[in-house]
This record gives sequence, structure tokens and C-alpha cells, in this order.
Amino acid sequence: MSLLQALRYFFREALVNLFRGWKVSLLAVLTITVSLCLGGTFLLASRNLSQAVERWRAETRVVIYLRPDTSGDDLQRLAREAAEPPWVAAVTPVSPADARRRFQQSFPSLGGLVEGLGEEPLPASLEIRLRGGARPAAFEAWLAGWRKRPGVSLVDDDREWLRQLETLIAVLRGVGFALGAVLLGAAIFTIASVIRLTAYLHQEEISILRLVGATEFFIRGPFYAEGLLQGLLGSGVALVGLYAAFRAVHARVASSLFASMLASDFLSLRQLAFLVLLGSLAGLLGAIASLRRESL
Amino acid sequence: MIQFFHVTKRYPGGQAALEDLTFEIPRGQFLFLTGASGAGKTTLLKMIFREEVPSEGQILVNGRNVSSIPARKIPYLRRTIGVVFQDFRLIPRKTVFENVTYLPRILGLDQRGQRKAAFHALRRVGLAHRLSAFPPQLSGGEQQRVAIARALINEPEILIADEPTGNLDPDLSREILRLFLEVNLRGTTVILATHDRDTIERAGGRVVTLDHGRLHSDLELVGSEPPRLEPPREEAEGGDGEAGDAEAPA
Repeated sequence: MSLLQALRYFFREALVNLFRGWKVSLLAVLTITVSLCLGGTFLLASRNLSQAVERWRAETRVVIYLRPDTSGDDLQRLAREAAEPPWVAAVTPVSPADARRRFQQSFPSLGGLVEGLGEEPLPASLEIRLRGGARPAAFEAWLAGWRKRPGVSLVDDDREWLRQLETLIAVLRGVGFALGAVLLGAAIFTIASVIRLTAYLHQEEISILRLVGATEFFIRGPFYAEGLLQGLLGSGVALVGLYAAFRAVHARVASSLFASMLASDFLSLRQLAFLVLLGSLAGLLGAIASLRRESL
Repeated sequence: MIQFFHVTKRYPGGQAALEDLTFEIPRGQFLFLTGASGAGKTTLLKMIFREEVPSEGQILVNGRNVSSIPARKIPYLRRTIGVVFQDFRLIPRKTVFENVTYLPRILGLDQRGQRKAAFHALRRVGLAHRLSAFPPQLSGGEQQRVAIARALINEPEILIADEPTGNLDPDLSREILRLFLEVNLRGTTVILATHDRDTIERAGGRVVTLDHGRLHSDLELVGSEPPRLEPPREEAEGGDGEAGDAEAPA
């Protein structure tokens, strides 16, 4: 028997087994589905958060707040000085009056708070937009230099909270993988039990196969194919479910910051293939584990 | 040719199922293996198709030492040996066709080849018209004939039958015995284990008797009523009525 013929036989027998024992097979398929749904959700969330971080990183700013007594000339001079290093894309000097107007535009309901105080309540600042790419060590020294200058009251670096967000994504990804791995382990165990049960139900047929001269490969092949099919089915259902959930959240991207952070893009083809491969492997591993110690 | 050289089989616990057996079965012979229950008949048969391994001694089947044959080669040995059991061992949820075509499937025959092989094997046992039936729809005798067809489908060199008539009434037993003798006429070595002395005495032939795992006797008996055998079915003119009703192979 050629390998192609054998594979055709394995999958035909596996499909018959799946169809005949659909209730127990469903259990195995669902455990794979749940574990991959969970793993896929974390993967999706971390992918979207990572993309958001990358976007924000491209827009990274450093804002240097100056002391209230900084004059307009000093502001322009400092802006020119700040624009010199190669990592600076643009510098916008913001005078106290500009800062107040912006505040009033951004928060109209709070506009009255900064009105009629006699002197400008907000400090002048330099908004520095940085170029993308890696930051040289000189950049840190440059920032430290600004922090030490007497006319500077505060240097606000966006990268600090981006670093915190990246840590959060890493934790999220780790938790997702850990939970997914635990559930995948449970799925492998379930598939192993289902395959063992199927093998037990086919014991008589297996003994006949062995009697008439079937090789172990021929006897076990249909069970391996059954595990593989269960894994494939489980991952297929998981991807459909995941996509449906993604569409539901994605519909709110325009109105919700949460949705835009978590569901701007669906999983990449590579990630989808990874999930399908993972599900199939889990099914195959379950089948191998169930028959490893079985004399059948 | 099957040769036993000082074969002993002991099960864990030390109990001996067979003790120092030495005899041979020439190619094409019909042999009755008899003895009381527990005499070791089934163990002896299982050793021929390597279901059991002797604790001591050697067994040669067509020159191959089956006691030392590697596990991966056992399936190839078994493809040359047909085995029939008292309880038929048919799968109830599978059709007669599916039950008899296990080996053709293993060998990779296509559907057409499988149908052809099944038709010929079932025709030999007079059941070519029941290809699509399920075992529970058949009588005990018919089920045993399906089991024989399964054993014969690859034209085995050796046919082993372990109490094949044990579940059948005397008339059906005679019918099944006649089938085995016909198979033997075509050159297949047949070893039939039975404790039914009556069947043996009527049929006659070589009779090996075991007693508590030892070779008690090895005799050539003249049968009192040997069955009248027909020539092999394929060679018979016009075939038989049942085969005439059968569906042609696809």
C-alpha cells in the first residue's frame, strides 16, 4: 500500500469514527477550541497593543516645561538650541498664553478655571518631536542636561510610560501563553482519552486487523488521523469564534479607545497558521500519547 | 511445511501449556488437532501465527523460524496464514464485503480489486450473493463461512481453524468441514483443532492428539463417512446456483 493510499484510508476511517462517536469527539474539539480561543485572544490583544505602542513610539515626544519667568526671547532661543541634535524632528515653543488657549480648547467646560487669574497659570514649554529609530547614548545625556538646567522645571519623557505599557504587554502575553498552555494540556489529555475510548471500542476490529497481517502503522494510523482532525476542527472553530468576537469589538474602534487599542487589526496569516498548527499538533500529540502505552 | 522442535510453552507462574512437542506438518496436508479442553491446542495454533512465543524450542513455518522473527515482520507472516475461530470474529456493524476485505485493504487494492477478491472468496464458500448483508442477518453457519472467506481471501498457504464448528449444529458442522477439505484439495495446508471425536472419526485423516500439553498420539485414521468433495468451484462447470444469483464484481 502506498503512503497516499494509506493516508486516504486513515482519514476516511478517522472521519467515520468522528461521525459515529460525534458526542465524545465534540468534547475533544471543544476543549481545543476553548484553549485556542483564549490563547488567540491574548495573542490578538498583545498584537494590537504592540502595534499601538509602535505607533506611539513613532510619535514620541519630549516636553520640556520651563520656569514661569522664562521670557519669549529665551523661549525662542531654547527652542533653537533644542532643535540641534540629529534625533530631534521638530520643536514647537509653546508660550504660557498658547498653553492656556490649548487648555481651553481641549477642556471647554474647565476653561473658566484658567480665565481671569491675572497672570498666566500654565508654564511655557518646548514640545520636541523625536525622529524614529534607536536612541543613541548621547540622547540620554542630552535629556539629563536639560533636566539639570536652572530654567527648566520638568522634563516629561513619553518613553517612560511606553516602557510601562510594554511591560504590561509582556505580562499579558506571558499570562496568555501560560493559560493557553494549561488549557492546551487539558485539550491534549481530553483528546487522548477520546482516542483511547475509540480504540477500546474498536478493540475487536483491531485484533482482526492484527490477525490478518496489518502493520502497527496501518492499525494506529486512523487514530492519529482522528486526533489530527479533532485538532484541526477545534482550531478552525476557534478561529471563526475569534474572528466573530474581533468583528464585534472592531465595530467600536471609532468610538472606543479600548476597542482601538485591542481590535484594530486581526491576527496575521502567520499567527493564524500558528494557531491551526498548534491545534493540529495538540490533536496529534493526544493521539500519540493515548496509544503510546496501549498494546491495542 | 510446519516443523515443531522440542517446543515448550510455560505461562508466567510456571504452568506448562505445551511440553517438548516435536512433529511436522508437510505442505498441503490436512491435520486434525485434538485433545480435551486445556490440552494446549489453541496455544499450539497461536504459536504458528506468532500470537504466542515458545518458552523453549523452535517453530519453523515454511523455513522461517517464527519464534525469532522480528516484530515488524510478523504482519507479513500472518498474511500467508488464514485463521478461523469458533466465535467467527466478524464485526457486526460492517457488511460481509467489509468483513472479508480487511487484507485486500491492507494490501492497498482499490475498490474494484477488493470487490473482485471478496466475490471470489465468498463464491468459494457459497455466499457471493450476501456481499451487502451484515453478520447479524446471517445464520451461524453463514457467519462461519464468511469468516472462512476472510481467511481465504489472499489464498493463504496455511489455514488454521480453532474449533470452527464448536458453535454449529451437526449438519452445519459437516458443511463447514467439507469446505475445509475442499480448501485443502486446492493445496492449502489445513490445521483444524477440534475436540469433536465424532467429526474426526467420520472424516478421517491425520490426527494429532494432545494431552496436558504433550503429544499423546499422531495417527492416520480411515474415516467412516468421508465427505464427498466437489472439485474446486472455479473449475466446476457452470458454477453453483448461489454464485449465479450473485451480483457481479464491480
